Amino acid sequence: MNMNDMRSVERIVNSHAAKIAAQNVQVHYGASQAIRDVSIDILDRTVTAFIGPSGCGKSTFLRCLNRMNDTIPTCRIEGLIRLDGEDIYDRRVDPVTLRAKVGMVFQKPNPFPKSIYDNVAYGPRIHGLVQGKAELDEVVEQSLRKAALWNEVKDRLSAPGTGLSGGQQQRLCIARAVATGPEVLLMDEPCSALDPIATAQVEELIDELRANFSVVIVTHSMQQAARVSQKTAFFHLGNLVEYGDTAQIFTTPQDSRTESYITGRIG
Amino acid sequence: MTDLAANAPAGGRASRSLLVPSARMRRRNSAERRFRSYGLIAIVVSLLSLAVMLSTIFRDGASSFWQARLEFPVTLDAAVLDPKGNADPAEMAKQTTVTYGKLLDQSFAAILAAGGIDASGLTDKEIGAMVSKAAPAQIRDRVLADPSLLGQTITVDVLAAGRIDGYLKGRVTRETAARDRNVSPAQLDLADRLVGAGLLAERWNWDFITGPDASDTRPESAGLGVALIGSVYMMLLVLVMCVPVGVAASIYLEEFAPKNGWTDLIEVNIANLAAVPSIVFGILGLAVFINFLQLPQSSSLVGALVISLMTLPTIIIATRSAVRAVPPSVRDAALGIGASKMQAVFHHVLPLAMPGILTGTILGLATALGETAPLLLIGMVAFVTNYPDAPPEGFLDPATALPVQVYNWASRSDPAFIERSNGAIIVLLVFLLAMNVSAILLRRKFERRW
Ligand SMILES: Nc1ncnc2c1ncn2[C@@H]1O[C@H](COP(=O)(O)OP(=O)(O)OP(=O)(O)O)[C@@H](O)[C@H]1O
Ligand SMILES: [Mg+2]
Repeated sequence: MNMNDMRSVERIVNSHAAKIAAQNVQVHYGASQAIRDVSIDILDRTVTAFIGPSGCGKSTFLRCLNRMNDTIPTCRIEGLIRLDGEDIYDRRVDPVTLRAKVGMVFQKPNPFPKSIYDNVAYGPRIHGLVQGKAELDEVVEQSLRKAALWNEVKDRLSAPGTGLSGGQQQRLCIARAVATGPEVLLMDEPCSALDPIATAQVEELIDELRANFSVVIVTHSMQQAARVSQKTAFFHLGNLVEYGDTAQIFTTPQDSRTESYITGRIG
Repeated sequence: MTDLAANAPAGGRASRSLLVPSARMRRRNSAERRFRSYGLIAIVVSLLSLAVMLSTIFRDGASSFWQARLEFPVTLDAAVLDPKGNADPAEMAKQTTVTYGKLLDQSFAAILAAGGIDASGLTDKEIGAMVSKAAPAQIRDRVLADPSLLGQTITVDVLAAGRIDGYLKGRVTRETAARDRNVSPAQLDLADRLVGAGLLAERWNWDFITGPDASDTRPESAGLGVALIGSVYMMLLVLVMCVPVGVAASIYLEEFAPKNGWTDLIEVNIANLAAVPSIVFGILGLAVFINFLQLPQSSSLVGALVISLMTLPTIIIATRSAVRAVPPSVRDAALGIGASKMQAVFHHVLPLAMPGILTGTILGLATALGETAPLLLIGMVAFVTNYPDAPPEGFLDPATALPVQVYNWASRSDPAFIERSNGAIIVLLVFLLAMNVSAILLRRKFERRW
């Protein structure tokens, strides 16, 4: 694989503090273990890519970060995950507040069967983030602009969100996640349903989001990881094999498994 | 030959023409055709039986909406009806229907004489029997309500006797009348002459829908009113009791309850309850609501409680499957941006499940509307002629229900009641149709939100 077509993004990221710190995380689904002993520091204002072969536990680990795994009854999580130093699995933590801070965009676009406006306005409404219609309108517009969707939908905000194209729907979901003003944005293969143009738009968007958020993106595309992320984590069979600067992972991987994967020998 | 061999695909398999179907393909196609014709036959058979059922019901029942009525003037003789002459209602009420009956008979005979209608060969009693036994009470009520009518000559519009009505509808013939103690062929001849004189005619009969039930001897005045009110009361109560409980229970089970042995047990038991024969619920209702809780027998409240028990499992099962059919991605989306579980359910899952819930509920109610057996056990088969009061007290008053009324009339001996039984079925079917149509309309309305 040719690394020269990597868009060069600044790689000086070590100056940022750790936003999420995970230590010795183990995840079990019933009797089977999906994540083994993963420790990782996810930095603020940085795009972190999770790569690895199918079934290696990327989604599982991602969902631990905003406690979406709580909805799966068989799922059991051990270890410590801290957001800004606070244990997110502390019994005093309400997952609802956590998820307002750690937003999520899913692999399949899943807009609500409501209008475009209501899709974006839903989060601010339930969290009481805005007073009055004007302010809400403003938040909706800003979020749609951030998701690079405003120009396409500004004339039909009351049209159903499910009536948009797949790529537009995904950007709508991103706008919806952005509207609640999260600090971390988790994206599970956000571009897998998108064409190259929409993918490029979403990637550009991710790069912009980096100014304000910490973004974690799961991807199967090595090029995408290389293009958008500053940090890359390689998972294999539930283990975090290697974690480091993206440029370093893709040019001089330390582990032979990482090397085999990025050169296409495991997958 | 060599050319052909050269054109054959690799592996030596001869290429088959697309235009000639293979034997295997032909077998598959004919199997498909066979299956399609089975399906078509099944549909035709069920439509035919439906058509036969509906047409017999309409043939036998539609006539109950019309009733033979006699219209003639009656002079309300003040000397007879108000002997004291002071128009005191309490005094006037002492004159029973027997007095009014005689008055009516005299007036009727007088009209026959005046109109030159030949009633020879008939005794006065036989002539009087042309008029329904319900008529004197009707006139009496009218006079007591408005004493100023005393002394006047008013035109009355009264029911003809059931047999006369049957004759006009073709149910009674001269042959059957010859064998019948209640009517004679001579009376039928008189009926013919009355029709000719314009005194007797079949007219639209609201009383069939609104009037109370009547005793065995007066089929012509029997109506569905009490049963209709009873059924409406019960449906209201069932709706109020079942829908909140059923929907809340299913949402809890589907969305909040931990998945463990207990919820499995509950699930199995709900499915079992839905399959319990309805008569068992009747016995339960008798034991619990009437004997133990001492609620009044025959009341629509007890009926509704029993039917609610039966309908709840249906509603729960329908609601659960509607809730389960909502894609999990919708819940994920809501939870993912920080909605609480309850917000996810009430803002997103429930609106999407609404069409299914509504259809299930209305179909459950429709089944409940036609339920008879448990109502027989809790006494709703009683002969009730008083309308229940307005709710909420009326829920405790004795009432009957439409399907029970059908059963009740069908089991009486006079063929006139069979006609009314079929008429009651028509009313019941109209109700069911209305409910199903509203289910479809509501479904449309909620589904149209994209
Ligand atoms: N709800 C679940 N119940 C039981 N096992 C699960 C569940 N979800 C995932 N797993 C198992 O956990 C392991 C990791 O799954 P996960 O979805 O995290 O993989 P992934 O890395 O995201 O794969 P992909 O790239 O295909 O999305 C797999 O073996 C999977 O079978
Ligand atoms: Mg995944």
